[in-house]
Amino acid sequence: METTRYNRQIILPEVGTIGQQKLQQAKILIIGAGGLGAAVLPYLAAAGIGEIGIIDDDRIEVTNLQRQVIYKNSAVGKSKVLEAKAMALALNPSIKINAITEKLDSKNAISLFSQYDIMVDATDNLNTKYLINDACCVTNKPFVYGSVYKFQGQVSVFNYKNGPTYRCLFPEESVQVGNCNDAGVMGISVGIIGMFQANEVLKIVLEIGEVIHGKLLVYNMLNNEQQMFGFSKSDAATMDESAFEKKYAVSENTDSEIAAVTALEQMHHPEVVFLDVRNFDEYPKITIVNTIQIPLDTLEKEYRQLETNATVFVFCQSGIRSKKAAEILRNNNFRNVKSIAGGAIALDKIDTYKVLETLQD
Amino acid sequence: MILVKYFGAIAERTKSQGEEFSFSDLPLSDLLLALEQKYQLGQLSFSVAVNQKMLQDATDYRLKSNDIIALLPPFAGG
Repeated sequence: METTRYNRQIILPEVGTIGQQKLQQAKILIIGAGGLGAAVLPYLAAAGIGEIGIIDDDRIEVTNLQRQVIYKNSAVGKSKVLEAKAMALALNPSIKINAITEKLDSKNAISLFSQYDIMVDATDNLNTKYLINDACCVTNKPFVYGSVYKFQGQVSVFNYKNGPTYRCLFPEESVQVGNCNDAGVMGISVGIIGMFQANEVLKIVLEIGEVIHGKLLVYNMLNNEQQMFGFSKSDAATMDESAFEKKYAVSENTDSEIAAVTALEQMHHPEVVFLDVRNFDEYPKITIVNTIQIPLDTLEKEYRQLETNATVFVFCQSGIRSKKAAEILRNNNFRNVKSIAGGAIALDKIDTYKVLETLQD
Repeated sequence: MILVKYFGAIAERTKSQGEEFSFSDLPLSDLLLALEQKYQLGQLSFSVAVNQKMLQDATDYRLKSNDIIALLPPFAGG
């Protein structure tokens, strides 16, 4: 093992040569090569983590550069993970970096997670966070969570030594919150939160300090207030292999989704019904013939308003609640149910009259 | 007094980091309902902490004087 490189950390009694060996033997997967990933990766690489995987199918855009500081201006248009790998190896050629140019999904998550010790969530959407959580539960791996909303950040380690999980903290899945693209963010903010995550990874590997588990750390970059909120394990949130398969077999089945434009083309078909599962106060209002509005919360009670043999195109605001609604209908013997990808936002962007004119031509 | 702290998108909706309410012996759910109506929080999902501890079930907690309530939504940016 190369020790000169790591001298300044090896001389810390909390690390030592034994700690450095632990770092070298560790295998860490970073999910997402955006702002958080760009903060976590160089520090883990520099500290001598022996094997680091980084998964993302995105390419570098110029709007990424104010916060994803490992990428060069000249790399715009190139694969994020390939650039990230080159950067990390230039920094520390003695480690192994696996660049995975894919998107994490329910099909690759379990086998991928099985190859690593710790998963670092550097994603920018809630769906993937729930997927990471569930796959970590199935593979029994810790999940180092980090997330940013404008000038505030959250950090926690879920499923650590069988402790509470992301679902124990945030059980509701059908919610919409802004990511960095929608809400705006400073590079510093993702940098700070990424640094907290890298610190948790190193503490877990080195077995030093106190890991933030069973607690949510909330950091405010504007006033430097830092708060911890305790939470405990909830029985309702357990996830094992069969629960995972059942959940994702339905919700990620691409056949169960339909593009907004394809759905609109069928709007005058007599058997087609559009089901709006948003609450009554949500905008934009969608005025399509044959639309019935039943908010998701009341669907279990009210689905009998629909005929089970109808073709039901379900939509919500952006396509998340509608997947749940479609699942409810399928469980109640509806055969032809599809969730409209992108929801009302996607529908609203399409000029319905143009769609119909094209059909008439 | 009861202090209610707001985070993330909730703080944005309420346009404040928090506010104080004069104490009355209320169930927490009444307070939450009042806040949801006052600030139209309907579409925002959040977890609730009382004195830095998350509640798994907010329905049967009764507020005490000097309680600090926090409304914590999940964040998604990264």
